[in-house]
Amino acid sequence: MEIEAVLAIGMFAVAIAALMAGYPVALTLGGIALVFAVIGIALGVFPEPLLRAFATRIQGSMENPVLVAVPLFILMGVILERSRVAEDLLHIASRLLGQVRGGLGYAVVLVGALLAASTGIVGATVITMTLIALPTMLRQGYDVRLATGTIAAAGTLGQIIPPSIVLILLADAISNANQSASLSGDFGPSAVSVGDLFAGALIPGVLLVVIYLGYLAVVAIVRPETCPPLEAGGDEPPLPVREIALGLGAPLLLIVAVLGSILAGLASPTEASAIGAGGAIILAGLRLAREAGSRFAPLLVAGLVGAAGVIGLSNVADLRIARTEIGAGDWLAIGLAGLGALAFMASLAAGLVVLERTGRLRPALSSASKITSMVFVILIGASLFSLVLRGYGGDEMIEEVLRAVPGGKWGALAITMAVMFVLGFFLDFIEIVFVVVPLVAPPLILLGVDPVWLAILMALNLQTSFLTPPFGFALFYLRGSAPEGVETLDIWRGATPFICLQVLLIGIVAAIPSLATWLPGIAAR
Amino acid sequence: MEGLVAGLGTGLTGLGYMLSPLLLVPFAALALPAARPLAREASRAIDAASGFALGSAMVLAVVMLVAQLAVVIARYAFGVAFTWMNDIVIYAFAAMFLLAAAGALRDDAHVRVDILRARFGPRTLAAIEMAGAYLFIFPVCVLILWAAAPMVSGAWSRLEGARESDGLPLLFLFKSLIPVFAALLMAQGLSEAIKAALALSGHPAGTPDPGGPRDLP
Repeated sequence: MEIEAVLAIGMFAVAIAALMAGYPVALTLGGIALVFAVIGIALGVFPEPLLRAFATRIQGSMENPVLVAVPLFILMGVILERSRVAEDLLHIASRLLGQVRGGLGYAVVLVGALLAASTGIVGATVITMTLIALPTMLRQGYDVRLATGTIAAAGTLGQIIPPSIVLILLADAISNANQSASLSGDFGPSAVSVGDLFAGALIPGVLLVVIYLGYLAVVAIVRPETCPPLEAGGDEPPLPVREIALGLGAPLLLIVAVLGSILAGLASPTEASAIGAGGAIILAGLRLAREAGSRFAPLLVAGLVGAAGVIGLSNVADLRIARTEIGAGDWLAIGLAGLGALAFMASLAAGLVVLERTGRLRPALSSASKITSMVFVILIGASLFSLVLRGYGGDEMIEEVLRAVPGGKWGALAITMAVMFVLGFFLDFIEIVFVVVPLVAPPLILLGVDPVWLAILMALNLQTSFLTPPFGFALFYLRGSAPEGVETLDIWRGATPFICLQVLLIGIVAAIPSLATWLPGIAAR
Repeated sequence: MEGLVAGLGTGLTGLGYMLSPLLLVPFAALALPAARPLAREASRAIDAASGFALGSAMVLAVVMLVAQLAVVIARYAFGVAFTWMNDIVIYAFAAMFLLAAAGALRDDAHVRVDILRARFGPRTLAAIEMAGAYLFIFPVCVLILWAAAPMVSGAWSRLEGARESDGLPLLFLFKSLIPVFAALLMAQGLSEAIKAALALSGHPAGTPDPGGPRDLP
């Protein structure tokens, strides 16, 4: 074997081994890559100038406007979580559905899907739901296995249901892969956008939620003792409509607005993420205004009215100010819209002030900044890793291996999925997206795999991996925040039926690619 | 002007070389009890600096959000777009994640593979932290400084402005974020290595040195 190949394989093996030491992944990946680059330079088989390209790579990730959506969605999720909007959501849903047999389970799955849509971070969703829902479920007499399995599975929904941040990162990686594939292939480049992946993930994601709910319904019929309903005629008064509207309706509206504007092609994911984060701050302000003892509530509402007014005015009048002739009526509309925009900005400021007064702004900003930095430092470390691997021709090696697999595109796809599944035990979605996807996606696309379909299968596959004992991430987080008396083995057994459901869905999406590719095709038009 | 910028670059490089012996402080703290109070002070100062950078990142997160919302309103309601406003978003975004990196390291927010970590003893964990700083953080940060140097000094010598005429004319500052990121991360790596060395020596950073001057009531 050539020395380059030995070094490339050795780098992968050493990196996996070094990661086990538990040092931050981003720095381990970068550090190992540098060590192997230096070995290669010493042996005269690695082109030193390639390392200079590292700085350009970093600059590239700094000025990618699509990636701006990542911190903004993280901010939206963190704000909703810290301001108890997420908690209210779960409380209201479980109160509304609790009377039904299996109702708490439905509530957890539905709220998981909604929360997922706002955070897309497995750990945060699983921990929040474990802390809030698990004790309630156990108190109500739910079977431990059913309860933990439902929570773990619902927590991983964040990976697949848009606007998950990993889908944004995956879209970036897949679209780069698609570009490099179309350079070496003989087909025209068709861009893969974040919106395409969001649209592609929507049907499989909703299908997954439906399958989960169907499973819970079957359990409720076959083994009713595992999921008893809430005692009827409880001592708690019925929920006031206002609370339902604010606690359930408002977050729902926000998520639908954000997702809808992306899918309808009205706004780019980055623009929608800003609206989502801004809306989350205003909602949090409304939720906490009483607690803060402030009288900002009217201002916060005025901001929402202002935003609605701007949208309304832009539909009835021509608000564009960069034209030569503007009629008097339009001037009036422009003035009003300006006031509306100002009111919106003022209510954003009021939301920030309320969050600060309740001591939640700084922790939320600090946590959002650190999560964002974590994501992008992995991007930087992983880009050094793939830069060095490329220097050794590792990408060509992987392409040869995938071409040599019997069974053509299906064989290559199966082996990729199997490897990613195992990697999912050790690495988070983000690392896999940055390290593995750029290597395997171009050859797969060249073999005729649809990029959107590939991305959705990868997302579903990794989501399953996070649920699989003994290493599944979701199970670790659940274990860490579960109350005393919940055995690890129960968690593992509880996850098993959901893993089977996941595999079922992967099979369905693999068999019927149009489940993933149909909606992006429609949305593009 | 160019002479000034070149002088600045040379000066900063020289400062970097002059400060490089500081990278041995963790070993000094490990071997020499006398070096420990100083090492602890250094680590504390670095942690504070990283905290300041993190604070700036938090402010920039709000700036990014407000600027992006302004872009959205200007574009969708009033049909106007300004490159400089988009540039504010991008600059704030990049500065946010680059400046927060050191604080994230300090607060242990960078993802780790924690399958085996629960089985390691405190000494093993401290040894891994120290090894990681020397094997991974310092070399990678030096690589970033080396790789970015021509790009950044080039940008400064021209005071590189915007790519488009109505953009924010601060590209040289934008590019400078890369070495600033590397320097902050390296400093925080040093602080983490000091903490690990103190833990290995049996005097963890949290506990005061017995007999040290600062314990006196």
